[in-house]
Formats: sequence, structure tokens, C-alpha cells
Amino acid sequence: MLPESPRMNNDLHELGSVSAAAEHPGLAVGVKQLVKRFGERQVLHGLNLNIEAGEFIAIVGRSGCGKSTLLRLLAGLDATSGGEIQLNRQPAEAFKDDVRMMFQDSRLLPWRTVVQNVAIGLEGSAREIRARALEVLAQVGLADRADEWPNRLSGGQRQRVALARALIHRPRLLLLDEPLGALDALTRIEMQRLIEQIWRQHRFTAVLVTHDVSEAVALADRIVLVEAGRITLDEPVPLGRPREHGEAGFARLESRILKRLMTVSALDSGNQIKGRITEIVVDSVLSEVRILTPAGLLTATVLTRSLSEQPLELGADVLASFKSNEVVLATAGG
Amino acid sequence: MALSDKLARGRQTLIPWLVPIGVLLFWQLAARAGWLSSRILPEPLAVLQAGFTLAASGELFQHVKVSALRALSGFAIGGGLGLALGLLTGSFRKAELALDTTLQMIRNIPPLALIPLVILWFGIDEIAKLFLISLGVFFSVYINTFHGIRSVDPALIEMGKSYGLKGWGLYREIILPGALSSILVGVRYALGFMWVILIVAETISAQAGIGYMTMNAREFLQTDVVLLGILLYAVLGKLADAFARLLERRWLKWNTSYNAA
Ligand SMILES: Nc1ncnc2c1ncn2[C@@H]1O[C@H](COP(=O)(O)OP(=O)(O)OP(=O)(O)O)[C@@H](O)[C@H]1O
Ligand SMILES: [Mg+2]
Repeated sequence: MLPESPRMNNDLHELGSVSAAAEHPGLAVGVKQLVKRFGERQVLHGLNLNIEAGEFIAIVGRSGCGKSTLLRLLAGLDATSGGEIQLNRQPAEAFKDDVRMMFQDSRLLPWRTVVQNVAIGLEGSAREIRARALEVLAQVGLADRADEWPNRLSGGQRQRVALARALIHRPRLLLLDEPLGALDALTRIEMQRLIEQIWRQHRFTAVLVTHDVSEAVALADRIVLVEAGRITLDEPVPLGRPREHGEAGFARLESRILKRLMTVSALDSGNQIKGRITEIVVDSVLSEVRILTPAGLLTATVLTRSLSEQPLELGADVLASFKSNEVVLATAGG
Repeated sequence: MALSDKLARGRQTLIPWLVPIGVLLFWQLAARAGWLSSRILPEPLAVLQAGFTLAASGELFQHVKVSALRALSGFAIGGGLGLALGLLTGSFRKAELALDTTLQMIRNIPPLALIPLVILWFGIDEIAKLFLISLGVFFSVYINTFHGIRSVDPALIEMGKSYGLKGWGLYREIILPGALSSILVGVRYALGFMWVILIVAETISAQAGIGYMTMNAREFLQTDVVLLGILLYAVLGKLADAFARLLERRWLKWNTSYNAA
């Protein structure tokens, strides 16, 4: 167990007085058939995702599967190539000011002090803005560093400043792109608590991209797995809060999702191998194809949809090519 | 701090000065002993004395003022234009497309090579000097402003936009501060070049200024005044550089590499 930092707790107490929850309820997100192309390369292949107002969801998936792309589209930083994004059942542009993104690299302005960084983009009298910025800095436990340059802060402190900068706008949808990726394990857990408690008080909708499955299990109401530009797993997290990393339910869920991720990882190789299909296990979204190869039994996870597009038969000879995110099965004949 | 530390520190600051002081002393002795003709090199004390006399008569101050004003107005015109056009081409692709190639072509002409043409156009007046200085200063400010703007971290600009900054706010908070260190490098180069061109321009012809003073003295073989003029140029150049450094330290104080310096 971690020792709780007393300052942080006090600050969170103050948070209770902010009645943001009532004024700024979270936004519901509806993503339909979302497509994103960068030139020739298609990154998102008709992705569907619905998020309820105030829900906390975590997105996991292999590097390069399109998580950041999805988040950037939600934030309106890039234009979609197809499909649509709705917030509260309206076009997303209507809520541009209610969506804030917290980047993996904190993206603080080195030429502005901590408090000026938090206040970026705010309008009003200088004194008022400063007072508000200091208040939010106190929530993340950094009020005493307000007038320093960001390059004097540690990585974790910079991320807390970035969090404060996002929170000061009272976002109704907060997008977090691996915000804790660069932090050590202890700071990470401390930050996770901070984010969770702030989320519980403000009740914004949160979308967290993370590589850390335990982080996803600790924070999210729901975990979705993005694979090859689609969502291939959508798993609710039926655990009460606050969650402890050691709990049995926690560990079980974590290892299940981890195993699911590993299946994707195991296919990441440049090789091709010939084999014969011995078994096909069809499931709703994903199906498993077992192939007997000279090297042993290979299990390829394929989208059920692609099975119907390109039927595979038991006993057929196939060539399995391992591409970055998927196994491409080619029948020997065609 | 311990006394021995202080002594060591004192020695550290003293040692670099030993050689120049030695040279000065030797020079003074050599001139006194008659090994050096005062027509070639006057003794250092004579230079000092010339300085005092000219300062007392007010002539020195007058000349320094004329030269400094000349240099600074040229710098203001050329630097101002360079900054404005650099900001324009750096910020707007269309402006870059329309102007940059032309400016790059002109840049390849050394300003000093234009002297005959400039004399033809403007005669040997004040305008000719201002033109040369402005031209010399323009490009280093222009190029560095352009590159400064272009090299502002796009991630920061994206952050600014997504946090509601746009137009002048985005410029003030992110683009200008991001480009500032590069712009200041341009300013420093420009200040150095400004003196070079000033000296050349004043040597060709002038009715007042340090160059006028030295060329005048040369005709009367007053080597001490000639040397004084050279020293004045050096001091002014140093002052300008110190000013640029001061700006850097002040405006870039968030940047640790300038703090340490
Ligand atoms: N601006 C861009 N231009 C071209 N290709 C891009 C661009 N942005 C992303 N991509 C490509 O889109 C794919 C998905 O990128 P994305 O950044 O969304 O991955 P990710 O899931 O966030 O990965 P990671 O976990 O490593 O951050 C990658 O193959 C990447 O090369
Ligand atoms: Mg990413």
C-alpha cells in the first residue's frame, strides 16, 4: 500500500466545494463508422463506440493501432475521413470548448511560468485568472510551485500541471492520451488516484488511452481494445471504487485483458509460415483459427467479419503472414 | 567562502589580463625608447591623451553621437523591415511563396559590393550610408525571424489552438516567444555586421562621425587620433553585443542555457 500524501488529500477536500458536477455534466459520446486515412494508409476502419455521459472508459491496444488517432478525432484536432462523431447527440463542433485533451508529453510552454501555463486560453482580468489558476494548482498539489518555470519540474509534476490546465476549463469530456506513460510506478498510482478523485467530483466523461492494463482496470468503468482500427473487445469493469491493485477481481480481470492483448502481440513478426487449418472457433466478434504448421500449432485470431468475407475451410492449406497487427491467412489455392 | 578560494578566484580573473597588460607596457616602453616611430604607432599614453583632449572639447562626443545614431537608424530600418517581412513570410505560406525567393536572391549580393552603385544612386550622402547599413542588417534579422517562426514546435501550437488560443493570442503566447531565441541570434549577428558596414561607409566619406574623425586625422598624420577612432569602434561594437546579450538573458530567462551563461 502507498502512503497517502496528506497535502493531496486536503486539496481534494477543497474540491468538494466546487459544484462543477451540477453545472457541467459529462458529455455523451457517439462514434459511428469512424474512418481515418492518412494518405494511402487507413488507420481507423469504421470504428463504433458509444460512451455514456460521465462514464470513464479506457482504451488499450498495440502501439500503432490508432488509439491516439481516435482521441485526436474526438478532440477535433484532426478531420475525419468518414463516419461521424456526436457529442450529446449533436455534431461535435458545438461542444468544442467543452472538450479538453491532456497530451502524453505535457506540452507546457517553457516560456511561461507554471501558473501562466495553467491559465492559458482563459479570458478575464489578470488577477481573477491567477486566482483561479492557483486554486486548480492547489487541487493537483502544486500551488507552491506556481511561479517557477516548467523545466524546473519533474515529469510527474509537469503532468499534474497539464492536468490542472485541462481542468481549469471545466471540461465535460476529458481526453487523456497516455498521460502517465513516462512516470514511475509510485507517481503513476498517485496520479491515478488524483485523476479518479477529480473525475468523481467533476463527473466529466473521461477517455483514457493507456498501455498499462492495470491502470485501465483501476480507473475505467469499461475497457475497450482497439485492434487494426476497430474495437475488438468491450469489457465492463464490475469493480467498486476505489479499487485496490491487489484485489482478486482486479487481478483476474487484468490478467484476462492482458492475455487478450498478448494474443495480438504474439502475431507481431515479419515471418510467414505454411500450415493446415485444423480447427475454427467462431465467436461473435473474434474467431480463432488453429493451424498446424511445421513449427507447431498456431492459433490465429481473426475478425469474424473477415471470416465471412473470405471463408476458410477445415483442412485447407494456408499461408499465414504475420503483419504488424494481424495475421493474414491466404489459402494455398488463391 | 574561504580566503584561499577567493585568492584562487582572483587569480583566475587576473591571469587572462596579464598578456594584454604586458603588451601595452612593452608597447609604451618601445615607443618611449624610440624603437617605434610615432608615425607608425603612437604610444598608448598619447592615445589616451588624445582621447581626453577631444573629449574635453566636446568633439569626441559629437562624433560618437553621429556614428551611433547613424548605425542605430540603419539598424532600426533594416532590422525592422527584416523582422516584419520575416514574421510575414514565416507565418503565411502565401507571403513566403510570393517573397522568399526574391529575398533569397538579393541576399546573395554582398551589401559592400553595392557600394559603387549606391554612390551612383545616392551620392556620398547620409542616405547612402543608411541604405548600406539597413541592407546589411536586414537579412540576418529576416532569415532568423523566418526560421524562428517556422521552427516553433507544432505540438505547442496545436496545444494552444485546442485550448482556445487563436489569432493574436496564439501569436503572443506561443509563436513569438517560440521564435524569440532565433530572432535574437539574428539581432546579434546584425549588430556585429552593422558596425562593419558603418566603418566602411564612414571611411569612404563622411562629414561627421568617428570615420570622419579618423580620416581627417590621417591626413594630418595624427596617428593617436586614428588609433582612438579604431578603439571607439571596438568599444561601440562591444557595447552593442553586451546589449544583445542583456536582451537574451532578460527575454529568455526561462531557458536554462541562457541562465547559466
Ligand atoms: N499524421 C499522420 N500521418 C500519417 N500517418 C499517421 C499520422 N498519425 C498517425 N499515423 C499512423 O496511424 C497509425 C496509428 O497511429 P496512432 O498514433 O493513432 O497509434 P497509437 O495507437 O496511438 O500508438 P501508440 O500506442 O504507439 O501511441 C500509425 O501507423 C501511424 O503511423
Ligand atoms: Mg498514441
